[in-house]
Amino acid sequence: MAVSTIYSTQALNSTHFFTSSSSSKQVFFYRRQNNRRFNTIITCAAQQTVVIGLAADSGCGKSTFMRRLTSVFGGAAEPPKGGNPDSNTLISDMTTVICLDDYHSLDRTGRKEKGVTALDPRANDFDLMYEQVKALKSGIAVEKPIYNHVTGLLDAPELIQPPKILVIEGLHPMFDERVRDLLDFSIYLDISNEVKFAWKIQRDMAERGHSLESIKASIEARKPDFEAFIDPQKQYADAVIEVLPTQLIPDDNEGKVLRVRLIMKEGVKYFSPVYLFDEGSTISWIPCGRKLTCSYPGIKFNYAPDSYFDHEVSVVEMDGQFDRLDELIYVESHLSNLSTKFYGEVTQQMLKHADFPGSNNGTGLFQTIVGLKIRDLYEQLIANKATAPAEAAKA
Amino acid sequence: MATIAATSLNIGIQLAVITSEARPVSLAGPVRLNNPWNLGSRTTNRMAAVRPVKATPEGVISDKVEKSIKDAEETCAGDPVSGECVAAWDEVEELSAAASHARDKKKDSDPLEEYCKDNPETNECRTYD
Repeated sequence: MAVSTIYSTQALNSTHFFTSSSSSKQVFFYRRQNNRRFNTIITCAAQQTVVIGLAADSGCGKSTFMRRLTSVFGGAAEPPKGGNPDSNTLISDMTTVICLDDYHSLDRTGRKEKGVTALDPRANDFDLMYEQVKALKSGIAVEKPIYNHVTGLLDAPELIQPPKILVIEGLHPMFDERVRDLLDFSIYLDISNEVKFAWKIQRDMAERGHSLESIKASIEARKPDFEAFIDPQKQYADAVIEVLPTQLIPDDNEGKVLRVRLIMKEGVKYFSPVYLFDEGSTISWIPCGRKLTCSYPGIKFNYAPDSYFDHEVSVVEMDGQFDRLDELIYVESHLSNLSTKFYGEVTQQMLKHADFPGSNNGTGLFQTIVGLKIRDLYEQLIANKATAPAEAAKA
Repeated sequence: MATIAATSLNIGIQLAVITSEARPVSLAGPVRLNNPWNLGSRTTNRMAAVRPVKATPEGVISDKVEKSIKDAEETCAGDPVSGECVAAWDEVEELSAAASHARDKKKDSDPLEEYCKDNPETNECRTYD
């Protein structure tokens, strides 16, 4: 059922009328001449929103991955101006990042009463999440609630305009099946327990009141819920960034050098996995040698096809750290299918944010590469959607 | 009108320069004169009103973290596997994350940039290309 409004404009010739059908976002021009109607159809490219899901345990906020991702598209992402200062949303020219904590159905006191964590699906309103993500994807603005992390209360909603790229970040982007189907691309950040412990110590030891025991107790208490509800989402992700302790230093427990694996699902539309030397082969590569001198412990790369939760995947793995710019550019020149627009783009992006954590190891490298892959996916999707209506009109 | 905060002694020198358009040029801030007899008073030129100390948002969150850790330890002393204990530690994690984000935000926030983001038309924030 098409709802049309008929406008008669004075600017055009009085014999011209046009109607706009809001359901199909097309503009029809009717020209009445000698009591015969001539139709010309002009289709406006309706805004196509690409939805990306990112699952990560650290909670929401200005996390490093989001900043790298928005930086690939250009511009810095900032909270909405003039709104709630404790808003979790980030807006840039092309992207809007929504924190899924905003869809908590229970606030902090509610969760304490019921004895559930934020990881529990009972604390989240998946129906509202699905409706609003669907609305934004169709180009309709929504009033999204705000979960205030400082007070632990649900604040008044804020208006979110549909962006070109919508990123939903949080604990459960792939938990609900309906929301999962709306995602054009999904990423899961899988941090191993040892690395998580090391990072949490780094983050919380400076905080008054925290001790090693309290940090350990906090991680242990959340583990059952995490493994029951969050961890299973990694089987649905198109790309998994797995962070593990290094294998280059025996008995390392500092957690400074990391081994990072980028697990990419094969057969995902518009997504072509990164590879080393030759697709589908198994390669082990140490770039340090005659051409490149690296300091201890050096860098080691691995590439191999694999099977992950019964899916065909390709895995690129980096163990070690970058010390210098030329190591980075050397590595970049040997990786294939990076979706860069010019030689050295990955290095340039990494250098742009050299102060971000992980800029000298695989976490930064693979986050940047995933960002470029998402840009490539976005451009392909847009190009595809633009050609489809033209073909329909021709037919 | 040009307002100049002068030192305690009366200064006879005309400090407001009247231009031809009769618009006085005001000197910003208190006037520092090279008079050796009142070097002492220069150092005591303090603001009359002392700004009251407010708990910064970062301090508020830190207090919350500390309190939540104590609560969690108490709750879990009773029953380590109950839902309340788990929820209490989850709250500790949430507040710790909020505290670390607040610390990061504070670390790279420049007070002038913050002010200019909201008030780009003020004199301090005007840019001339």
